[in-house]
Amino acid sequence: MNWNVIREYIPLYVEALGLTVKIGWLGIIFSIALGLGCALVLYFKVPILQIIVKIYIELFRNTPLLVQLFFLYFGLPKLGIRITAQTCGILGLTLIGGSYMTETFRSGLSAIDDIQSESALSLGMKKYQVFFYIILPQAVSISIPGFMANIIFLLKETSVFSAISLMDLMFTAKDLIGLEYKTIEALFLLVIFYLIMLLPVSLLGTYIERRVRYAAYGD
Amino acid sequence: MKKNIFTKLVSGASAAVLVAGALVGCSNTEAATSTEETATEQAAVEEATTETASTTEEKAGNYRTLDEIKESGVINIGVFSDKSPFGYVDENGEYQGYDVYLAERIGEDLGVEINYVSTEAASRIEYLQTGKVDIILANFTVTEERAEEVDFALPYMNVALGVVSHDDNVVTSLDDLTADDEVIVISGTTAETYLEKNYPDIKLQKYDAYAEAKTAFENRNGIAWANDNTEVIAFSIENEGYEVGIPSLGSADTIAPAVTKGNETLLSWLNEELVTLGQENFFHADYEATLLDTYGADYEDTLVVENTELP
Repeated sequence: MNWNVIREYIPLYVEALGLTVKIGWLGIIFSIALGLGCALVLYFKVPILQIIVKIYIELFRNTPLLVQLFFLYFGLPKLGIRITAQTCGILGLTLIGGSYMTETFRSGLSAIDDIQSESALSLGMKKYQVFFYIILPQAVSISIPGFMANIIFLLKETSVFSAISLMDLMFTAKDLIGLEYKTIEALFLLVIFYLIMLLPVSLLGTYIERRVRYAAYGD
Repeated sequence: MKKNIFTKLVSGASAAVLVAGALVGCSNTEAATSTEETATEQAAVEEATTETASTTEEKAGNYRTLDEIKESGVINIGVFSDKSPFGYVDENGEYQGYDVYLAERIGEDLGVEINYVSTEAASRIEYLQTGKVDIILANFTVTEERAEEVDFALPYMNVALGVVSHDDNVVTSLDDLTADDEVIVISGTTAETYLEKNYPDIKLQKYDAYAEAKTAFENRNGIAWANDNTEVIAFSIENEGYEVGIPSLGSADTIAPAVTKGNETLLSWLNEELVTLGQENFFHADYEATLLDTYGADYEDTLVVENTELP
């Protein structure tokens, strides 16, 4: 292991980390929004939209991100739609993330016993009040562990971005190995930088899980 | 609450194990020996670590000698599977091309079966260093940096770099490029190294594989595509709407078979084989069988190298 090489590589990895984090977090934020929207559609059984959402979820949950990126980046231009590699990365992450987030939200929503909304309605609460004050807070609390797992999953999925020429952490390592053949150093930094990116998320997740576990009985 | 503390402990512990594992794994012997000196209670565990560390180190210079290859009856040859007409898989699923033509002959003369291993440009050196292949015949340009990592045999083809662009916007000089223009290259190729070194201001758009770079170029994701000139000329001949604006760039290089560093028995056999083949004008026959359809007869003497004597 050559520490001079490592010192020389660190700025390149920092730059790649910046790109990975930027695309990763934008994708995650959009996918939470998309997931929440789709979960509401499913929960309220909105006609027609419900079917579209179901098709979307099955389509994106059952194909790899790499295939979706290939389609977005190499397929769409053939149909005359051009998007940049970064937009494509964010869009791809949003679409696959949205489908996972929807399922997580939906499971949280359906975990709340019907008796709660029935009781609330019988006490004279409006439908929207029941949903926003009773169902949603509990559902979010229940979904948090699944949520954090999805976030870490999405951040790790960024490693396939090399296929669409985005210099993320993985591609930076591969490219440096190809250019200068310092395999051990490049791979060592790759592991370290993924840990730098993911460990705080995972620790923060554990903390949040503990703080918002108010929906569980007797805790 | 019990459950929560437990989750926290488990995640904390697994994170620590991960970090420790990464550190030990990467700085192998140094870390292993220094910890062995201090922590005597853990002697048994450390012993195991040093053992694995030393075996991986022995395997770092991992290769099979000529005799071992002959004995096993199979030779592993790394070729491209997507670089027509040098190394590609045809519609019947068979490997074909200029490099493969040579590989077939090598297998025949060694009297062994060939196991083709499909490689990407950036992983060619790794494949040799980890012993996954015995020979790389994947249009591998000889450079000084690469020669420090692997051993090259005698050359069998000439090559330089070239730049192809769409015929409605031909790039004839790299100095004409504006700050917004991106040039497509494939990660791990000589074109990438050359442009990184000599034109650090040009924005490069890097791809892993030939197929992806080609599609991206067709989609106009970049203004031009820099690669081996053999490759870009072939591309512009095979596909309509493209023109090679810069047919020759950088120094004139050669392409040669490569073996793992230190594999002398295989290297000297290969060199003798290449001289024997040179005497029978094998590579002219190879050109006529594999490249003639693409390049026509004009390029035959500029591309082909026949060896007449050992290095």
